[in-house]
Amino acid sequence: MVGLPYDCLANPLGAVRLTFEKAVASGSDPATLDGKDWGAGELFRQFLFDDDGLSQVPMLNQSTIKWVQPNTLVRFRGMIQDMLGNEYYVGAYKDGDMWRTNKFADTSRCPMDASSDMRIWERRLLYCVPIPGQNSWVESSHEAVRNSISPQREKRQREDDATMSDVDMVEPGYALEDSPNPKKMREDGMALEPLGLQKIVAEGNLSTLSLVPDAETNSLPCLVKIYDFPESDLKLNDVFEFVGIFTFDPDLTVDRDDNDELTDNFCEDTLIYLPSTKVPRLHCVVHRKLIGTDFLSNPQLELTPYVIKEVREALLGHLTAVLGNDRVAAQYMLLHLLSRVHARIDSIAVGKLSLNLTCFNKESISVFGNHLKLVMESLLPFTQCLPLTVDYLNTVSLAPKKNYHTNRLECGILQLAEGTHLTIDETSLQTGTLNSKGCENARVLKNMMDSQKVEYDFTYYKMEMAADVQLLILSEGKSNILPADLVLPFRPSSVDSALGVDGEMLKAWRWYLATMKSLPHSIEPHMQKAVEDDLVAARQADRSLGSQEFSRWLTMGRLMSVSFGETCLSMEHWQMVRELERLRKERLLGNM
Amino acid sequence: MAFDSSPANIHGGPSSPDDWATSPISNTVSSPGDRRRPKRGRRSSYATPSPLPSDSRFPTPDATPTPSGSNSRRRGRARRPAGTPTAAATPSSTDDAPMSSEAGDGDDDEAPPMYVWGTNISVQDVNAAILRFLRHFRENPQQIEGKYMRIINHVIEVEGDSLDVDAHDVFDYDNDLYAKMVRYPLEVLAIFDIVLMDMVSRINPLFEKHIQARIFNLKSSTSMRNLNPSDVEKMVSLKGMIIRCSSIIPEIREAVFRCLVCGYYSDPIVVDRGRIDEPTICGKQECRSKNSMTLVHNRCRFADKQVVRVQEMPDEIPEGGTPHTVSLLMHDKLVDAGKPGDRVEVTGIYRAMSVRVGQTQRTVKSIFKTYIDCLHLKKTDKSRMHVEDPMETENGPSRNENESTLDEDKVEQLKELSKQPDIYERLTKSLAPNIWELDDVKKGLLCQLFGGNALKLPSGASFRGDINILLVGDPGTSKSQLLQYIHKLSPRGIYTSGRGSSAVGLTAYVAKDPETGETVLESGALVLSDRGICCIDEFDKMSDNARSMLHEVMEQQTVSIAKAGIIASLNARTSVLACANPIGSRYNPRLSVIENIHLPPTLLSRFDLIYLILDKADEQMDRRLAKHIVALHFEDPDNSEQDVIDLPTLTAYVSYARKHIHPQLSDEAAEELTRGYVEMRRRGNFPGSSKKVITATPRQIESLIRLSEALARIRFSQWVEKRDVTEAFRLLEVAMQQSATDHSTGTIDMDLITTGVSASERMRRENLVSTTRNIIMEKMQLGGPSTRLLELLEELKKQSSGAEIHLSDLRNALATLSTEGFVVVHGDSVKRI
Repeated sequence: MVGLPYDCLANPLGAVRLTFEKAVASGSDPATLDGKDWGAGELFRQFLFDDDGLSQVPMLNQSTIKWVQPNTLVRFRGMIQDMLGNEYYVGAYKDGDMWRTNKFADTSRCPMDASSDMRIWERRLLYCVPIPGQNSWVESSHEAVRNSISPQREKRQREDDATMSDVDMVEPGYALEDSPNPKKMREDGMALEPLGLQKIVAEGNLSTLSLVPDAETNSLPCLVKIYDFPESDLKLNDVFEFVGIFTFDPDLTVDRDDNDELTDNFCEDTLIYLPSTKVPRLHCVVHRKLIGTDFLSNPQLELTPYVIKEVREALLGHLTAVLGNDRVAAQYMLLHLLSRVHARIDSIAVGKLSLNLTCFNKESISVFGNHLKLVMESLLPFTQCLPLTVDYLNTVSLAPKKNYHTNRLECGILQLAEGTHLTIDETSLQTGTLNSKGCENARVLKNMMDSQKVEYDFTYYKMEMAADVQLLILSEGKSNILPADLVLPFRPSSVDSALGVDGEMLKAWRWYLATMKSLPHSIEPHMQKAVEDDLVAARQADRSLGSQEFSRWLTMGRLMSVSFGETCLSMEHWQMVRELERLRKERLLGNM
Repeated sequence: MAFDSSPANIHGGPSSPDDWATSPISNTVSSPGDRRRPKRGRRSSYATPSPLPSDSRFPTPDATPTPSGSNSRRRGRARRPAGTPTAAATPSSTDDAPMSSEAGDGDDDEAPPMYVWGTNISVQDVNAAILRFLRHFRENPQQIEGKYMRIINHVIEVEGDSLDVDAHDVFDYDNDLYAKMVRYPLEVLAIFDIVLMDMVSRINPLFEKHIQARIFNLKSSTSMRNLNPSDVEKMVSLKGMIIRCSSIIPEIREAVFRCLVCGYYSDPIVVDRGRIDEPTICGKQECRSKNSMTLVHNRCRFADKQVVRVQEMPDEIPEGGTPHTVSLLMHDKLVDAGKPGDRVEVTGIYRAMSVRVGQTQRTVKSIFKTYIDCLHLKKTDKSRMHVEDPMETENGPSRNENESTLDEDKVEQLKELSKQPDIYERLTKSLAPNIWELDDVKKGLLCQLFGGNALKLPSGASFRGDINILLVGDPGTSKSQLLQYIHKLSPRGIYTSGRGSSAVGLTAYVAKDPETGETVLESGALVLSDRGICCIDEFDKMSDNARSMLHEVMEQQTVSIAKAGIIASLNARTSVLACANPIGSRYNPRLSVIENIHLPPTLLSRFDLIYLILDKADEQMDRRLAKHIVALHFEDPDNSEQDVIDLPTLTAYVSYARKHIHPQLSDEAAEELTRGYVEMRRRGNFPGSSKKVITATPRQIESLIRLSEALARIRFSQWVEKRDVTEAFRLLEVAMQQSATDHSTGTIDMDLITTGVSASERMRRENLVSTTRNIIMEKMQLGGPSTRLLELLEELKKQSSGAEIHLSDLRNALATLSTEGFVVVHGDSVKRI
């Protein structure tokens, strides 16, 4: 087809209208179009994917919102933070003799005569927020794809580039709201105490009060309206890329002088609290679930065993250096970074591997804690830090809570996207009394540790939501509040402050972690037999071994072979795991 | 209930025998004019694409499910003497073409039969059908009077204002009527109300109240998630939980104005579409002042209204979703019928209302708000399993409703299941299928779930039917998982952890009501789990104070409170399932159960079954564990479980059995019980031993009866048979062999449980005391110098030749002697007196 009569990018509604008219003209009764697509979706899909139009679609974020035109096609990446139910709207109506549609629009274009015939259709409302803990490199990597030009964005791009090429990665500009002042942090340099109280307070405040996150912060929530998709597709806390029509209509703000209580009670909803000036609306045409590799700029590496091995070695070397030449810790760290929950059987989350590094003290935490944090930020797309202090536990709300007054799910710190890495720093925990909120928070954290589930508070009952978060705990002694799968005394032997890494290397590592993590895995029957024998023998030798230990070994075995890019457990890797565990046990005993 | 067409409207044809000159509108509780606005908005939106035929009230070949009622209302207007504004000039913004309405009025005078506009529902037919239903519906043929006639009479007697109509009855009597009612609730209910009025006025002409029909118990109930545009304007029924209630909104129905100049009171003005036409001119001929009319509040009539938000039940929410909510509009009596947190079943009419951009603007935003006009609200039981509870049933009807929750096919299915020969094994396997092994423990837990029969003798003595179980075991033997599972399954139940439970938290506490300042009794976990199972984890870590509260609960099944001026005894008919870790966290087989779990024997004896879940060094077990874990990590989780009964079925099975099966002991079984018990007692006297060991106590026979009853229930059998008793004995023995074995003799010894000391141990102690006495008699003079304990111990060891004697044993012996007044012990020295 040459020369489309419509421009999908600039005038998507035109395209929608055209296809609708075509559909009606070809004899379909609007009544039969209820909840169906008449070809508009197909058209957009073709434009976006087949004709490679996706890269031309601007990304909607805090900086682009200023210049993106209403009623054009935009992209938005975010996590589904809340579901606001369904909305009924006039899908099609008769204007004179013509059927017209309101699909993908907030209001009808032509004045609608109330007496005309109409069909009511429904659409789903999703409240999406930028992914919590998203690191700056993720943003820059997909911004590089975009090709629209605007002065502000150019500037921003340069800034990001600067950060990227900043070899020692001192302070990758925080993309997130929980950094009150990145500049200040940068000045403080390495010596800074990483988790100042000020920040804690700031975080606490933010999470408790923010329904609509501050306009100042760099995060832009978005109200996405989904059409005609089965609801099972979209789940809470999933990360999606939505391509749709951005609408912005200042007239639509709900009348607040309308003090009729009846209408108030019906419209109490939510939308009042989400004025379209702060929360843009997106009428979704196409959506796509994002997985780890989608956050990388370009997967430029080939999957050859040799390359994988090389990258693995380099990454391990880097981790060793970061961990003060503690190679065992680095090995464990690598496995930890590759872990994910791959199955849930009853209440057991299989595949999680939380790591507790002990033996930190005031000095070592300020050096290594900070290093670790930076490394995590540079390697993984989403990272969060949680300073565990009594004050913090007593004030912050970790689990999301439903606010029935606003009918919204209030975001908690632990509402995280799949695959987020969470570092919990327990070293600054002092003795003190936990209040009821603190106890609840501690319980929520423990539950998260044990079963990778977070209880969302719905006042009258709690609902458990599955999570998949990698948990790293830094503590002085073994953490009793947060019993991790692995406890490892940390033994640094040197402090290497200059950790130069070049950008290409970093990209390779990110790619390695994201790709390996998603590898499938299996076991051969003979290997299964061997492993079973080994387990039985181990248990005969040491009665204290239980299902927990076995479970951990198998998880580690899996991760070990995955780290080599293999999809089958081999004896060699199994032996490596046993050896690692032996070393760890020695350390644990030596520590006592 | 007629929501907007007042009854007179439909009935108002010239053919109607009784002309409702005095329109009952003032009594129609549910015709708030302002709701017509949303309704109209929707109605027009739902109009069929085809142009409206002017004679649409006549049977149209294509019965389109569309606007209705509005015409019949218009008809009413013609009848209305004063031409009340109820149906006057419909707003042009939302109404259908005025043409049709004019024509419609004309039609009125010609031809019955009348049809509800746009449908094939004939008003007369429906009218007659309803009348037939109300007059003739009987639950069983023996009844002389129809069920509803009786209820109507009752309603008139108590001057009620509503009639609850079970939709199942309607369906059974006339499923065509049922279908019409669900499909066109507004119209059919309006007719229903008229029929009711008619009947009531015939029975008692003086009865002035208007009785409304409240339909409940629809054949099918929708989930909130599945409501969609096609449900709009239909009768729906759904379950949910109230999360928010608005304040009560007084809604004006009739307004009265007074002239400020002359004091003239206007006639009551009925609200029309949420508006009141305020008279601009005084109605009095002499006055005629302009803009002088003012509203007289206490002469106006108001009705209550409330907006309630209902949220989906947690178990209906799919994985990864958040609960949906829906608004309910409650009127009059339904206001405050539920409060936040209640689980309710709602029957009502699903409505959609267009959102206006502004109150005054005509343009309608293209978005609709939906709500449900509530017809009936039923609170559903919080519990997951329905348990019979004769003491709590307040009224008959609600019991009936409960019974109908299990419909017949389901019951049939359960009965079928119960007939399977291996049902006992299958149920055992289905209980916590992810925990392997521990079959006997699971069987015990199964018995606990089903429970025995509680017995209350005329003399006032009562015997509990609940089975208490204690699990003691090594860490990591999935005790807690078992507990969690039982908690999930049990009818109602509380899961607590011993560490965090206090005595008051378990029983009941007195608190001051923040609003009234009165002291109120708040129930604790045990009271809350009345008729259920209270699961207590970490029983050993519970404070002694809290544990002592359990004594009463576990045998008497009540909680007595005497504090802050409140003296009460609350029911706590609960089974207790507790689990504990041994004292040294790992079970020490050389110590007795008592020493291991460190619980007072008085409490221990109240457990029917005590299981020791020990981690034995067994290669077979290890291999199975290894296999299980490897499979967990590498296999598809779906194919591992088969042939297990799913949780809902299991729950239904248990609740049905608990409710309907009350097995009796058969003679044969009673015989077996007696025989077995005597046998058990006799086992204590094994030959060649002078000591008498009690292996069973009356408590055990009670336990045995409960267990056999539970086992009969599992089979849905009305009789406890011999095999049940045999199995009960086996269960008890399995549990006892693990817990009540005297490790030095290897026999079952109930004394271990009841006193914490086994018979052989007691004998040893007695021997020790006498030996010590002899030594002291020999070595020490009366009033002579004191001897050191260690010396005495040496001596003792010499005498008893080889048997190991600890200092503590000696101390015990000396303590016994000192109570006899034989010696005095001062620290480390002993003195004979």
